[in-house]
Amino acid sequence: MPPMDKAQAIEELTEIFRAVFDQPNLVLRDAMTAADVENWDSLNHIDLIVAVERKFKIKFTTREIMGLDTVGDLAELTAKKVSAAP
Amino acid sequence: MSFTSFKFLLILPLIAALYQLLPVRCRVWFLLIASYIFVGMANWKAALMMAAATAFTFFVAKIVGNPDSANRSRATFLTAISGLTLLLVFFKAIAALHLGQFGKLAAPLGLSYYTFKLMSYLIDVHWGKIEPARNWPEFAAAIAFFPHIAAGPIQRPANFLQQLPPAKTAVWMGLSRLVWGLAKKVLVADNLAPTVNYVFAHVHALHGASLLAGFYLFPLQMYADFSALTDMALGMGLLFGILGPENFNRPFTATSISDFWRRWHMSLTNWLADYVFTPLRMATRSAGTAGLALSITINMLAVGLWHGFARGYLVFGALNATYLVGDVLTLRSRNAFLKSRPSWNGLASWAGWLLTLHLFFFAMVFFRARGVSDAFWLLSHAWCGLGTHHAELAALSAAAGSRTLILGLTGCAVLELAERVRPDIWWHRTEAAAPAWVRWPVRFGVAVCVVSALFFLTVRPGGQESEFLYQVF
Repeated sequence: MPPMDKAQAIEELTEIFRAVFDQPNLVLRDAMTAADVENWDSLNHIDLIVAVERKFKIKFTTREIMGLDTVGDLAELTAKKVSAAP
Repeated sequence: MSFTSFKFLLILPLIAALYQLLPVRCRVWFLLIASYIFVGMANWKAALMMAAATAFTFFVAKIVGNPDSANRSRATFLTAISGLTLLLVFFKAIAALHLGQFGKLAAPLGLSYYTFKLMSYLIDVHWGKIEPARNWPEFAAAIAFFPHIAAGPIQRPANFLQQLPPAKTAVWMGLSRLVWGLAKKVLVADNLAPTVNYVFAHVHALHGASLLAGFYLFPLQMYADFSALTDMALGMGLLFGILGPENFNRPFTATSISDFWRRWHMSLTNWLADYVFTPLRMATRSAGTAGLALSITINMLAVGLWHGFARGYLVFGALNATYLVGDVLTLRSRNAFLKSRPSWNGLASWAGWLLTLHLFFFAMVFFRARGVSDAFWLLSHAWCGLGTHHAELAALSAAAGSRTLILGLTGCAVLELAERVRPDIWWHRTEAAAPAWVRWPVRFGVAVCVVSALFFLTVRPGGQESEFLYQVF
C-alpha cells in the first residue's frame, strides 16, 4: 500500500466507523473519543479494530490498542502502520 | 467503622477542618497517615499487608517501566501480576471455604479494591500508558485513600496522582454529596432492609407475594445502599480535594442489558473492560462470534466472582454473561427490524426496559440468597398463590414493620425522581450563587439541621451501627 498521512487515514476510517457503528452520516474529528460516537463501547471496540486491520491488512497489538484515546490516535497509528507495511 | 456510624461522622468534620488548615505540601502525608489509621483501626495486620503490597508494586513498576530491560521487565511484570492476583484469590478462597485456622486473616479491609488499583497501575506501566510513579508517599496515598478504601469506587492511581497536590478542596459540594448519600442510606436502603432480610432468611417458609417482595425489593435496596456508599465516598473525597470516578448512572432506566452494565458499578465494569475483556477480545478476535461470546463470558464470571467465591455469585455472573451474549448477538437484527418499523420504537423501549429490569432482578436472587437452593425456591414459588398465604404476609409485616417498608418504597420513588435533578448539585449551585451574607447563615443553619438529623437517624436502639452491603467485598 502507498504511504498514508493522518488526514487520509481519518478519511478512510470514516467509512469503517459508519459501517461498524451503523451511523451513515458520522463525520470523524481528530479529538473524538468513544463518548462522542453513538454505539461505540467496549463491546464493539474490537469489531472496529478488526475492520481496520482487514481493510488495511495490518495488525495491532493489545498494548497499541490500549494506548489509544482519540480517533486521531487511531488514525495516526493506522497511517504509521500502513506506511511501514511492505 | 461504618461511614454511617456516629463516631465516624463526628471524627470526619474534625479531620476535614484540620486538612483545610494544613499547608498544601503536607496534605499528601496527612491523607496517607489518616488512611492507614482508618484501615489499622479495623485490623492492623490488614494495614501492614496493604503497605507491603503497595511497596512491592511501587518498586516492581520501576523495573517494568524500564525500557532498557524489556525481557526482564516482562518476566517481572507477569510474576508481580500473578502475585497480586494470588493474594486476592487466596483471601477470597479462605472466606469461601471457611478455613478456621485462617479465620483472623479473612477479608482484610479494602483488599478487593486496592489489589485492583495496584494491578491497573502495573498493567498501565507495562503497556507504556503511564510512567512509574516517582513519589512513594503520593503513590501510597493513592492506593490507601480512606474515603474509597472500604467499598470503592475503584480509582486508577494515575487519575488520583494527576490531582496532586490537592490544593483545591470542594467542601460544600462534598458535603452536599455526602448528605445526599447518607439520606439515601438511612431513609431508603435501611427501611427496605428489614423486609429483604426477613424474606431471604425464611425463603422455604414463604410463598407468593412475600417472595415477590424479596424479588423486587432486594435490587432496590442494593442500589440505594451501594449508590449511597459511593455518594458518601465521592463526597468525602471532595472534602480532601480528590474527584473520584462515578459508579452509577441511573441503572434502572436502562433499556437493554448492555446499557444496564454501562450504568451499574461502573468503576468495576470499566476496570474489567480495560484489563480483562479487551485483552481477551484482542486475543480471540480471529475466532469471530465465538471469541466475542467467550470474552463476554469470562468477563462476566469475573464480575460475579470478584464479590466472592460462592456458587450464587458464579450463577449471577453466568446469567449476566448469557444475557449480554444474547443482547450483543441480536443487536444488528433488532436494529434492522426497528429501522423498517419506526412506529415500534416506543414499544420496544418500554419492553426492553421491563425485560432488562426483570432479567437483572432474576440474577440478583442468586446474588442475595443464602444458597442456590434458596434462590430456586424463591424463583419457583414466587408466582404461586399470589392472592393467598395471608398469614405469611402478616408475619412478614409484623417482623419487618410495614411502616418501614412504606417509608422505604416512598423513598425509592423520591430517589428515582430526585436522581433526575440531583438535589445535591442543585443545592450546591443555588447556594453558591447567593450573596455571602445569605450564604453563610444558610450554611450554618443547614449544618446544624444536618448534624441533628444525622444524630437521630444514625444512633439506633442498642447502639447498633448500620453496615453497608458492599463493605463486605
